[in-house]
Amino acid sequence: MRLQRLWLTDFRGYAAAELEPAPGLTAVVGANGQGKTNLLEAVAWLATLSSFRGAPDDALVRVGADEAVVRAEVVADAPARADVGPGGSEGPGGTGRLVLLEALIRANGRDQVLVNRQKLRRARDLLGSLRVTVFSPDDLALVKGGPGERRRLLDEALVSLAVKHDALRGDLERVLRQRGTLLRQAGGRATPEVTATLDVWDAKLAELGEATGRARAALVDRLRPATSAAYDQVATASASVTLTYDPAWRRCDGGLGAALAAARAEDLRRGVSTVGPHRDELELVIDGLPARTHASQGEQRSLALALRLATHAVVTDVTGSSPVLLLDDVFSELDPDRSHALLAHLPPGQALLTTAGPLPEGAAPGLVVRVAGGRIVDGGAPGAVAAGAGTGVV
Amino acid sequence: MYAGPVQDLIDELGRLPGIGPKSAQRIAFHLLKLPAQDAVRLSRAIDEMKARITFCSRCFNVSEGDECELCADPRRDTHVVCVVEEPKDIVAVERTGEYHGRYHVLQGAISPIEGVGPDQLKVRELVARLEPEGITEVILCTNPNIEGEATAMYLARLLRPLGLAVTRIASGLPVGGDLEYADELTLGRALEGRRRLE
Ligand SMILES: Nc1ncnc2c1ncn2[C@@H]1O[C@H](COP(=O)(O)OP(=O)(O)O)[C@@H](O)[C@H]1O
Ligand SMILES: [Mg+2]
Ligand SMILES: [Zn+2]
Repeated sequence: MRLQRLWLTDFRGYAAAELEPAPGLTAVVGANGQGKTNLLEAVAWLATLSSFRGAPDDALVRVGADEAVVRAEVVADAPARADVGPGGSEGPGGTGRLVLLEALIRANGRDQVLVNRQKLRRARDLLGSLRVTVFSPDDLALVKGGPGERRRLLDEALVSLAVKHDALRGDLERVLRQRGTLLRQAGGRATPEVTATLDVWDAKLAELGEATGRARAALVDRLRPATSAAYDQVATASASVTLTYDPAWRRCDGGLGAALAAARAEDLRRGVSTVGPHRDELELVIDGLPARTHASQGEQRSLALALRLATHAVVTDVTGSSPVLLLDDVFSELDPDRSHALLAHLPPGQALLTTAGPLPEGAAPGLVVRVAGGRIVDGGAPGAVAAGAGTGVV
Repeated sequence: MYAGPVQDLIDELGRLPGIGPKSAQRIAFHLLKLPAQDAVRLSRAIDEMKARITFCSRCFNVSEGDECELCADPRRDTHVVCVVEEPKDIVAVERTGEYHGRYHVLQGAISPIEGVGPDQLKVRELVARLEPEGITEVILCTNPNIEGEATAMYLARLLRPLGLAVTRIASGLPVGGDLEYADELTLGRALEGRRRLE
């Protein structure tokens, strides 16, 4: 999967910008606060329909504008089928199909998404058209943060693997909200009506939770060796890394349904769902010790990076197409040895990285893009308006 | 905040489904600019509807009399009842021309978030209809979303022990939809619910 061209209009600080990333590595350079991360954020938005910085849609629209437009030409790796979609055409070289993705991001949240100029009924239907793997300094939270961070890693990877997991995740969250509300409303009393309704939510939760647990477990089985391998590549010292996903409810005879029944009284008493996939943990262990509490800061950084690279490898393997790798400001967090190791082991495929400092030794990007003050001042798309103004640093 | 009556109208409009504060404001100022007779026509339409239309005492569809046109129609099969969430769903099923039984409108779906449990729905009224009307089959036609599915499951568990045939509509693809862009869940469900072509 390759991002061939990117256009931005009124996205963050960019009034208009156009970019033609290299097939391999593109380095986005510039001082802090100039718009480097904004570029990666735009690409990732098309892939996930959200900001990897957790920003709401209205923060993405340039101050003073009504909507932001992110448009991208993406070349899929799969050979074009005879029945390519509306307007589908062969990409350069005759392999892969060229798809035009467009997102109109509106401050009021009514986003509009188009594929090959056809409006999609729901923005969600865009998922899967472009896949990315993002690594940013915040990813240290994957190791140091709470279990929710690690569940999110798994669940987002599952969506990259198969779009149906997005609906599964949405449905599961909805059922948990409904069940939680009912438990609170019950005020600890199991009237026949509460019991009968709770039975229904439990059945739904069991069905969706089991499916989530199965998918997470299968993913972790694939991530385990991949994380080990990636850790050995980026860490400065070798260590044994283990991933364990083994929630108690999955070991229960009768599965989640039985576990929920057993927890019913406690759930009613406390007014919350105490058992289920929303409480799962993915345990990370380095050389026999929990990484969250016992690993050094350097080891934790290596492991966070290894988890991202492992996810990238698994998605590449399963889908047969490598996501676009987005590395935001990673060298500010990694020491020179780890930075060097990362560059040396960059997976094949396309990658965009940002850095405020000089590129580490050994980096050989196919393209260097310089941004300043919300403009691409150097390395923009040839002939593009945004880059036409000049090649010097402003 | 605007002058009393304007703000009152904005508040009222804002309570309507699908209308946020911004839309409420826009509609209110549109109405303000309208010639008086146009505004009166709108308010009279609302009055008329509230005065003349009630809910059918049998199935809770909208109705001009005590019983709706569908319940009063002697050609309808009285042994089958199709359970829907809202009167607008009846319109959708009727458009298919495939169904000739009666209906029952729950007036919502189970959703604790919105404070709706079985007691807030026309569930007891449905159960009360079964014997007197000789109903033998119930088709659960609630929406294919989480709340609709939960409601269908609740009703199935309630009604099956009573010895009725209880069925659920198969959720499939919207006809005229583009298979390529159909979401995988819908497509998956449609595949699961596939049947042999006769
Ligand atoms: N909605 C917006 N409208 C205009 N400018 C914005 C908007 N959001 C962010 N910016 C600008 O983008 C800058 C940050 O860009 P960013 O890509 O995060 O910088 P960096 O180059 O350090 O990665 C901020 O200084 C801000 O001026
Ligand atoms: Mg940045
Ligand atoms: Zn009726």
